[in-house]
Amino acid sequence: MKPALLKILLGLCLLPLAARASDESLVGRWRLDTARSTALDGWSTADVVIALDGSKVMLRYDMTWHATNVTAANTVDTAAAADIANFFRIDQRHMAVYARPKESAHVTAGWLDGGRTLRIEALVPVETSQGNTTMRLYDEYRLLEGGKELLLIELHSTRERPLVYHFTKVPAEAAKK
Amino acid sequence: MKRIILSLALILSLAAGLRGAEPTSAFVMHFDSDWRVAGGLPQKAMLISLQGLANRGTGQLYIIQPPGYQWEITEPLFEFYQRKHGVKFTELKTADDALTQFKSVPKGYVVWDKKVGPSLNVAFTISGLEDAVVVSEELIPLVQAHGLKQIDDLRGRYTGQTDAQIYQDAVNRYWARCNKDAYMLMGGQRGAVMMPGMADWGVKRKMFFHDLAANPEIPAELALERKLLSQLNPGATAFGWHPYGKDTEEQHTTLLSTYGYKMEGLHNLPNLSFNCWFTFTPGFKFTNNHSVAKDAKLVPQEKVYLSFVQSDGIGIGVWTKPGRGRLPLAWGAIMGWVNFSPAALEYFHESATPKDYFIGGLSGPSYMYPNSIPAARFGPLMKEASDLMAKLDERVFEIMDNTAADGNLGNADLTKETVDRYYANFPDVIGFINGYGPARTRDLRDTRPLISYDYYIDPRRPREEVTADINELIALNPVRPYFLLVHVRESNDVNSLVNVLTQLTGPTEVVPLDVFMKLAASKQTYVTRYQHPDDPKHFKGF
Repeated sequence: MKPALLKILLGLCLLPLAARASDESLVGRWRLDTARSTALDGWSTADVVIALDGSKVMLRYDMTWHATNVTAANTVDTAAAADIANFFRIDQRHMAVYARPKESAHVTAGWLDGGRTLRIEALVPVETSQGNTTMRLYDEYRLLEGGKELLLIELHSTRERPLVYHFTKVPAEAAKK
Repeated sequence: MKRIILSLALILSLAAGLRGAEPTSAFVMHFDSDWRVAGGLPQKAMLISLQGLANRGTGQLYIIQPPGYQWEITEPLFEFYQRKHGVKFTELKTADDALTQFKSVPKGYVVWDKKVGPSLNVAFTISGLEDAVVVSEELIPLVQAHGLKQIDDLRGRYTGQTDAQIYQDAVNRYWARCNKDAYMLMGGQRGAVMMPGMADWGVKRKMFFHDLAANPEIPAELALERKLLSQLNPGATAFGWHPYGKDTEEQHTTLLSTYGYKMEGLHNLPNLSFNCWFTFTPGFKFTNNHSVAKDAKLVPQEKVYLSFVQSDGIGIGVWTKPGRGRLPLAWGAIMGWVNFSPAALEYFHESATPKDYFIGGLSGPSYMYPNSIPAARFGPLMKEASDLMAKLDERVFEIMDNTAADGNLGNADLTKETVDRYYANFPDVIGFINGYGPARTRDLRDTRPLISYDYYIDPRRPREEVTADINELIALNPVRPYFLLVHVRESNDVNSLVNVLTQLTGPTEVVPLDVFMKLAASKQTYVTRYQHPDDPKHFKGF
């Protein structure tokens, strides 16, 4: 085997898992099934809209609380770590844990399970009554059998229980409305 | 001799007046839960207006609400009046019985239009001014059978008009003759169900009734309400509650606070026209369950200190639920009741367990948002609050300001200027607490801490998540002692909280609020913070 070809093959083998192609079924709008999910706290509904652009994954969150509508987005890169300002998480709003808007979360992301699971790890700066601290957050967005359901499992370095959110795919036509 | 007899008679009559104004006999009615416009509301509205009129000279008619009614104290208070005040009640079973018994009270009737909800509020205003009972058309034969004549008929008058137009017409006709120390914000439910349980109080005191919205998106209503507010007397009170669906509690409380007016709710609070005739029983003195001396200095240990507070209307929810007394719990007593419902306050104090502790608030002598109170009104209002606290033997003052919040979430913080004012106006408290949902205003000056809620327990939140939330707060605040103040929403039950506490991590201790404040005064592990101009604001004001 020629050295050049060997290098190419070796490079492909070493390509980080995180940068491997994702399952296109992840793309689109997903709606939280509140009955099957960990209880939201201070939110009424949640949609997550996923878009892919090369190694980048944009996750937009459309949240409601009574008459309040909040839209926030995180764009993570499965090829490289990034510092993301205003990193959004589905927080428990009745806890005195506040985002620090002028600071960034250090975020890494990657694909698992053949591109069916998006892993995100983030060090999120937060403010509590004793001052500033960091919450380590681990998310897996798992595409379930059939591609019609998305499961988000979130772990906090500071929380004893996982937060488990079941989403169902909103059909493309309905999502446009 | 004649002069001596006259003086003696005067003294005796005065003495009798002080106690003798209290009714010794009265009538009672039982209501059901049907407040539908197409169902039970019309008759209830008529009876409540009759109650307001009948209770003008003395307390004659008391109404007991059924289980499930938001104010759960009508039955216990009924028993209290019998037991402690010796009131002999006679039951009136029907509206016909009530009209027969009080036939000389109303001078006539006013007909409201069931197709136009606000016409009921206009009818209540007329009721107070003209001594009329309010009726819908199907009740006309009943009141006519009792010899009552029609004073006014609102059917058709307001068809097709906006709420602003309707109330502008009512202002033109009646406002000049209405009470300017108080008005009745008869909001709450609108449409197919209305619950004007507090209307008796407004009728008795000749208040102007309305449900105008304090919502900038309904400018005509906001402008009209502003006009009314500008004409009330300094220190006035808005009784009732904001109209659901037209504006928010935050908007309306903010609006009232910008004028320095007090809010006393809710719109469905019953029997004030009766309760106001009673004072405290002879010899009764408020004695709070203090767990620590006022000037004590406590040394905290390396642990998590939790304290629980329930600050919704004390007559709502947890008080009558099982489990009270198992945990130290601080209660936001409604201080204004000293003036118009003292027996209710005495009832709560009498039935308090050793673990129940009363605190002052909310933000002033009643519900207000202090960031919005004009500087010139702040001192007089807080003097009023301070005097009430002294009467009620209270040492901790609770503040809440949701001017910029999103419901009970978001920005519930106090500006430094507001905090400065509280410290200046309450030299005798042992500390302040702040918030409803969580907040992040904190301070410590001399020995008086100001601590905000770090957690709010939504009654619907699964207890395992409540446990996880509290444990997460403990993990996120690693310095010991950690002072974790928790607001317990009205309808939580205490037994479930006891179970949560068994699953908390680390050395934790639940302490009474006064002990909590003293411990927090001794070692500041919380960051001093006020509302910052860059903090997000949900409602930016009017």
